[in-house]
Amino acid sequence: MITPTSVVLDGQPITVTQTGDKMLVELYRRFVGDYPKFFKMDTLCRLGFVAAEMLLKDHTTNDERSSDWTIIMANRSASIKNDTDYLATISEGHYYPSPALFVYTLPNIVTGEIAIRHHIQGETSFYVLDKPEQLEPIIRSTLHPQPSTLLAGWCECRTTNDFYAKLQLIWNN
Amino acid sequence: MEQLIEQLKSQIIEALNFEDMTPADIDTDAPLFGEGLGLDSIDALELIMLMDREYGIKLADPKQGKTIFQSVRTMAEYIQAHRSK
Amino acid sequence: MVFCIGHSIISPLGEGSKANFAAVQAGRSGLKRYDHRFADVEPICASLFDQPQAFVPMCIRSVELATAGGACPLDSHDTIFILSTTKGDNLDLWTPAVGVASYFANPNPPIVVSNACTSGVCAQITAQRLLESGMYKHAVVVGCDLQSRFIVSGFQAFKALSPEPCLPFSEERQGLNLGEAAATVVYSIEQPTTNDQQGQDWTWSLESGAIHNDATHISAPSRTGDGAFLCLRDVMQGVQHDAIRLIGVHGTATLYNDDMERAAIHRAGLDSVPMCVLKPFFGHTMGAAGILETILCVMQAQQDKTENEQQVHVIKMLSGFGGVNAAIRLRV
Repeated sequence: MITPTSVVLDGQPITVTQTGDKMLVELYRRFVGDYPKFFKMDTLCRLGFVAAEMLLKDHTTNDERSSDWTIIMANRSASIKNDTDYLATISEGHYYPSPALFVYTLPNIVTGEIAIRHHIQGETSFYVLDKPEQLEPIIRSTLHPQPSTLLAGWCECRTTNDFYAKLQLIWNN
Repeated sequence: MEQLIEQLKSQIIEALNFEDMTPADIDTDAPLFGEGLGLDSIDALELIMLMDREYGIKLADPKQGKTIFQSVRTMAEYIQAHRSK
Repeated sequence: MVFCIGHSIISPLGEGSKANFAAVQAGRSGLKRYDHRFADVEPICASLFDQPQAFVPMCIRSVELATAGGACPLDSHDTIFILSTTKGDNLDLWTPAVGVASYFANPNPPIVVSNACTSGVCAQITAQRLLESGMYKHAVVVGCDLQSRFIVSGFQAFKALSPEPCLPFSEERQGLNLGEAAATVVYSIEQPTTNDQQGQDWTWSLESGAIHNDATHISAPSRTGDGAFLCLRDVMQGVQHDAIRLIGVHGTATLYNDDMERAAIHRAGLDSVPMCVLKPFFGHTMGAAGILETILCVMQAQQDKTENEQQVHVIKMLSGFGGVNAAIRLRV
């Protein structure tokens, strides 16, 4: 679980020195460190990416199982933070639409970034819901036919200092 | 030209989010795509936008990018020849 | 499996699935050139409504048309509303979903599927899963996107747009055309026993669905069509190749998409199956595409089907930003 000021992994708090987006960079350097593409990501993707990385760091996927995994994420605000950033590049009198920002104006990109990093050719889905609890029936209905492993959770971001993520890794035996 | 090359390196670092890099880390003649900086298709489009925004150059055919963006030097040379800002 | 008990399309080609099907059969396209529709944006070729439309009323009208037969109890706890959209109503995806569901007095919080351009197919898969799990008996799946300066400018920045009507799978293709539409399909876990008032068999069943990520790039498809192939492989399980009457492809006419789809179809052994390509008529309608194109592909297959044919199936496939691919198989 990640908020702009705190991080909890498997029930244990993780000490961080930064807050907001800077905290996500700190987490990246501590738990990842070898993936420069991280710096191209918007805050929503950075949030989901480091949260997933922290959960998956002990579980490597291999090719035979990667298409059997499922990633389902949801939030309330879609990609609003990055939408706003993109809008700034097409303002009146200063029209220079940024392709790098435009690609992140879809909330499901965060699931794609995680899939690329871990070579997961399974299902990636993104939902916009009112509350995290609404995700539970969707997850339950996705467990048949069973993916072998499900990474699921809430990944919400409104600004670089207003975000919340709670992800779970579910082994489906 | 050297000033333009230095400026361009800083602009590339900022536009393409190379967080841990300084202009000194970029080899002027190294390939930008493939090896070298290892840029991808989205980066190429951002560079096209950078040329428009900073130097007033509109690239009609994106395929021209292949030759223009071979290295920082070839990009600087193209900008020098075509800039309107 | 789940059963379709109603559907509708609203597009620049007309209102109602039948009107749109007739337009396509007559060779009419909604694509036109627009020089100044959106400020600062270069001229585009797109399929747009004559007058700018409002998102929520459009979705509501779409649902009304699809449920005119009265087979679906819209205000019941057993009915779930699912909205498929990429940019919603001015970047807000949640509020319009509530607006639509509450207009029909539905008591359940709706679900919005936002999985890029595959949303319309993914929303149908979500509907199937929720109905088969027993949580609901009916699902109203609405897909809608309206074009805007936001979307058009972005696609232009990606150099993905063709200034002319698109040419899917052609050597001369230059890119895609954008479009706007609303489409609805209503699914039920119960098989309908009667035909509709016009005496026409609307029924089809959604039998299988799959979603797979290429895991290669966030905006370009896998050159070997990995994700799309895995989707086709999954939905073909238990079905003979010669039972597939047609494949509704994505066919955006970008350089990479069409090559990728061809590769995936080839890997799945489905080269000889006719492809149904609809982007030249409607443009790319984004969140509506998966639903609109499913409806028309099924109607085409239903028209061709003879009375004693039993196993006639249609596949609808889509791909989208984020590396996502999706496919469904329907039995007509």
